Amino acid sequence: MIRSLRVRLMLAAAVLALLFMLALLPALQKAFSLALQESIEQRLASDVTTLISAARIEHGQLQMPTLLPDERYNLPYTGLLGYIFDRDGNLVWQSRATADQNINYRPRYDGRGNEFARIHQGDGEEFFVYDVEIKLLGGQSAAYSIVALQPVREYQHTLDGLREKLYLGFGAALLALLVLLWAGLTWGLRSLRRLSRELDEVEAGARDGLSREHPRELLRLTGSLNRLLHSEREQRQRYRDSLDDLAHSLKTPLAVLQGVGESLRQRSGEREQARVLQSQIERMSQQIDYQLQRASLRKSGLVRHSVQLKPLLDSLCSTLAKVYRDKQVSVALDIPEAAQLPMEQGALLELLGNLLENAYRLSLGHVRVSLEEAPGQLTLCIEDDGPGVPADQRERILERGERLDSQHPGQGIGLAVVKDIVDSYDAGLSLGDSPLGGAAFRITFTLD
Amino acid sequence: MKLLVVEDEALLRHHLYTRLGESGHVVQAVADAEEALYQAEQYHFDLAVIDLGLPGMSGLELIGRLRSQNKTFPILILTARGNWQDKVEGLAAGADDYLVKPFQFEELEARLNALLRRSSGFTQSTIAAGPLLLDLNRKQATLDDQPLALTAYEYRILEYLMRHHQQVVAKDRLMEQLYPGDEERDPNVIEVLVGRLRRKLEGENGFKPIDTVRGLGYLFTERCR
Repeated sequence: MIRSLRVRLMLAAAVLALLFMLALLPALQKAFSLALQESIEQRLASDVTTLISAARIEHGQLQMPTLLPDERYNLPYTGLLGYIFDRDGNLVWQSRATADQNINYRPRYDGRGNEFARIHQGDGEEFFVYDVEIKLLGGQSAAYSIVALQPVREYQHTLDGLREKLYLGFGAALLALLVLLWAGLTWGLRSLRRLSRELDEVEAGARDGLSREHPRELLRLTGSLNRLLHSEREQRQRYRDSLDDLAHSLKTPLAVLQGVGESLRQRSGEREQARVLQSQIERMSQQIDYQLQRASLRKSGLVRHSVQLKPLLDSLCSTLAKVYRDKQVSVALDIPEAAQLPMEQGALLELLGNLLENAYRLSLGHVRVSLEEAPGQLTLCIEDDGPGVPADQRERILERGERLDSQHPGQGIGLAVVKDIVDSYDAGLSLGDSPLGGAAFRITFTLD
Repeated sequence: MKLLVVEDEALLRHHLYTRLGESGHVVQAVADAEEALYQAEQYHFDLAVIDLGLPGMSGLELIGRLRSQNKTFPILILTARGNWQDKVEGLAAGADDYLVKPFQFEELEARLNALLRRSSGFTQSTIAAGPLLLDLNRKQATLDDQPLALTAYEYRILEYLMRHHQQVVAKDRLMEQLYPGDEERDPNVIEVLVGRLRRKLEGENGFKPIDTVRGLGYLFTERCR
């Protein structure tokens, strides 16, 4: 299967041109050979006319001058062969050029006038023959066959030369055609290449849509793509907005219910109901958080995002530094200034926010974020000097909804959201020990 | 402490108003950002609790406006979404902490206390001045390790003076700590309360932490830690 459009077109055009030339060649040769034969016939006819005009009848005998008007008859080996036979087929005259020829030709005087033919000799030689029967000569009755001959050899030679020239010409034409075709295709397909370049930019998030400067034939395609891109973007925005509304409209009533539960708890008789109410509220809230975050962090279908890591980490760290001001956490960011991650900004913010908050909350005073770059792979590592996670519990806390530190305030779905985001980007998440003494979360991205 | 609560949901606003009032704060609870801006302009607040999802002007914009008007009191944001985009934007706009809805009141209170403590420069949950020790969490004062029997109003005045130690505090400011809004503004109440507070604090050891600065207000003279 040939995948290149250009190669396909080239191949098809080359085959077509070849077939066309193969059909054209025999027709051309045929036409040329017919034209050549015709011209030979005309020449032989004029030779015969020369002989006739030179011949005279004297006393019932054919008289030919010693020197004929056409010089070529007078010289040997000129190839201009003339014979005159009487009505019984006896040779009465032959030109000088026929001296070394032994041609086996007997005309039949049958009154059919002129005849042009091709004769074969015993030695394989062929001749064109022009045979004219005359009845009158110089006003006297005479019955002679006047014959002019020409070897086919010369004709064949001309024909071979022509064929060779035709083959060469057609070969050169085919080559020139292919070169022109290649250039034409390059020109024609340039707009496809530009389209592909623009698509690359769209995927990389460098441009919003495709430009309108494409050939008419592509405009429908680019128009449709632009509409698709636009509607996807709009849909995502709408989706996100309605999720926000949903979050607000669900969680504010939950906060009210929470308050009611707390009031209930203060009455001694209803403490148990208050406890049930509160645990249910918490469960609902967690579910809402988890499902909403999951829904809003879906990976975009067409656009391949990439985010600069450093500014995002800086803003997150300044947020957390404010919240954990009393703790005086020192953060080491071991991140190259220009480092980028192949993720959408919102998703990366949630991922890092959750992991960093974990680290800030559990650390004693040191947090480190580092990025290791290996060929085809990026590993982001977030470490702290907190208590760490025992090896036998690591698997479990990466599971959905698990939380290890129930004594700390937090939504408890942080790691589950992290896991979801990591999965949706086909990245890997692992949990290990940090040289700082606490936990080390590693997220590994495979680059294509 | 005098708190500004900005929350559009009436029931939640009422709940916050009641519970924070019960914890000894004077609460001004409003439903939208415009009203909040007006209140912040008219009165002195020690802290604001602002919901991000306000109708009209958003919580984020409100925080930005307050900060641009040089209001330095700590701000705690309430967010329904609980995503990091909101938290980062909120704190970048000038908030100091966030809480995701729904929340337990105890958590809100702990966060508020931490913010209040931090804003007055204390890192501990207790304030000490000589033999006097104030436990901000339990809202309890002890003098020479003996619990002091203070009414809620007396405690509020003492806490406010100690938080603003070595600064002259106007009577009006103290009044705001006791009553929300303009109602019941009688300077004599403050004089009576301060007088009672002095009698409870001042013993034979010569400890006299509260001075009167005539025409201006009161001054807590002891250095607090």
